[in-house]
Amino acid sequence: MSIQVSNVSKHFGPFAAVDKVSLEVGSGELVALLGPSGSGKTTLLRMIAGLELPDSGTIVLSGEDVAGRSVQQRAVGFVFQHYALFRHMTLFENVAFGLRVRRRELRPSDADIRSRVMRLLEMVQLDRLAGRYPHQLSGGQRQRVALARALAIEPKVLLLDEPFGALDARVRKELRRWLRRLHDEIHLTSVFVTHDQEEALEVADRIAVFNKGRIEQVGAPDEVYDHPATAFVHQFLGHTNRFQGVVSRGVANISGTHVDAHEHADVAHAPAVVYVRPHDLDIVAEASNASFAATLNHTVKLGPVVRLELTRRDGGEPVEVELPRPKFAQLDLVPGGLVHLKPRRARVFIDERNSTGPARGTIDDREVPRVTPAPAPHPDAQPVVPARAA
Amino acid sequence: MSAVLTAPAAQAWAASKSRALPLVPLVPLLLGAVALGYLALFLLLPLVAVFYEGLSRGLAFYFAAIQEPDALSAISLTLTAAAISVPLNLVFGVAAAWAIAKFDFRGKALLITLIDLPFAVSPVISGLIYALIFGLQGWFGASLADHDFKVLFAVPGIVLATVFVTFPFVARELIPLMQAQGREEEEAAASLGAGAWHILWRVTLPNVKWGLLYGVILSNARAMGEFGAVSVVSGHISGMTNTLPLHIEILYNEYNFAGAFACASLLALLALVTVVVKTVIETRYLKEERS
Repeated sequence: MSIQVSNVSKHFGPFAAVDKVSLEVGSGELVALLGPSGSGKTTLLRMIAGLELPDSGTIVLSGEDVAGRSVQQRAVGFVFQHYALFRHMTLFENVAFGLRVRRRELRPSDADIRSRVMRLLEMVQLDRLAGRYPHQLSGGQRQRVALARALAIEPKVLLLDEPFGALDARVRKELRRWLRRLHDEIHLTSVFVTHDQEEALEVADRIAVFNKGRIEQVGAPDEVYDHPATAFVHQFLGHTNRFQGVVSRGVANISGTHVDAHEHADVAHAPAVVYVRPHDLDIVAEASNASFAATLNHTVKLGPVVRLELTRRDGGEPVEVELPRPKFAQLDLVPGGLVHLKPRRARVFIDERNSTGPARGTIDDREVPRVTPAPAPHPDAQPVVPARAA
Repeated sequence: MSAVLTAPAAQAWAASKSRALPLVPLVPLLLGAVALGYLALFLLLPLVAVFYEGLSRGLAFYFAAIQEPDALSAISLTLTAAAISVPLNLVFGVAAAWAIAKFDFRGKALLITLIDLPFAVSPVISGLIYALIFGLQGWFGASLADHDFKVLFAVPGIVLATVFVTFPFVARELIPLMQAQGREEEEAAASLGAGAWHILWRVTLPNVKWGLLYGVILSNARAMGEFGAVSVVSGHISGMTNTLPLHIEILYNEYNFAGAFACASLLALLALVTVVVKTVIETRYLKEERS
């Protein structure tokens, strides 16, 4: 069952929560809506479910325009961030609810309900706790019940609103792997909302990156991570270092350091912003025109990787580098020492704000928080660094 | 980082919260004594006095006083007024609280203010409003009199006044509770295919049942005890339009103190029952919340 969202907008007062968004989700796909809080992703999800009505635009579920259809008629499974389990019902009754409230002629028999509910509870590995109440369960267990409850009505699509947001890091990791496995088994068209890029990268078939009510890019995880369409997408998907420079005929120049920018080969001369991820910076023995000098200030050991905090010698800007532990041990670095850094891979965006010429790989500077080095610009965002997430 | 409180830490925190304040022993003792003395003087003493006075002329007089025809008529009128106004306000209170807590609409603040109105105005004013509307000189009084339907100085007026003064109890109890519970459970029920009726009966009401019962108990106590508003619309016709509180006043004004206190003891008993039921509800509610 597919989902087609075309040109959908939603305003709350003067604030455009969702601004002319279009998105297609193919049958059996698992798509993540990723973005900072307030970027409109949850509002879009709620509009697909019918919990919110769009101001304009159309939403089509498996070929049918659902504009006139209420939540009840859309047959979507919805999973809430805070579970929204019925607190006065046992797990069994929670899962059975969607079947019990059906019209008499569509309602399965009691025996039928019983076997279906138990099968679902088995699937989420909670069949032994069928008689318990929600408050007797852990967060991860509650969310699994919520999922079983949503699946009980045999929905055409499954919508999950920050399903793991309220769980602690370890349970979150377990549960999202489990969700991925479950999806591989039942192939239900699913959309889930998250502000955690690691979660989106790990679980989704495709990711739609939201910013300020619009979708900046839609693509497979690798594609979005390796080839971000905009500076925002690059910054949002993990840590990054930001450098100001100039791009000219396919080469970006950051005060003397040359970085490949072949995608801008036809640009004669334009100001540019260069992004380099901390793990894409190599420490090299000898200076060259592809490297720059920096002073090592501080090292932090984060599980299997070591994060180096440095300062550029020429500009004084902070830079972050991440190295595997063994490599760090080989290098024998000391705080205060001189280091040559060479970007192995960089993303270059024309800085439109300072630009006069034509631009490709555009960047809307108003929308990009000017954070120079590492921490991702949004406080909600989970860094890609494994140690923080573990 | 506060979200990653480890389980033992959280338990220790909870334990420290339930422990008593570490004060000098003298201070809590003193405060306790003051509080208890105050309670005894202003609550316990009058309560004892009611029963003492009521029984001062013996059990036989006591039972005769509450069984004389005027007293029985007052009791039955009080019960009638409560039996009509409490269910009315139960339905209204649930409807208003459901609308206010679960939906957004224009004029919501105005509705909340209106619900509070009976708390804000003096009950005598409430009674006067009905006297103005339904009195012979009032808006509808004359035309109602033509159809031989009496509101003022009759049972309908007493019921109306009682409904008015007990109006806010159920709604006031439910609104904060429903607002705190949010809308997610209702949204979940809707996404599972439940219509409004199913959502109300199977999700919303079970979640607020203790608050609802609490509101009904308070509403009932007020309905039976109301004096001011009912006094204005009743006309004080013994055996016809006297409620229990009005009957007590009449007996008292006739210097029949033992009779007045005998009847007053019935209202005091009602108050005691209310307090006990309320306590039971509260403990059960807290137990459910905690578990």
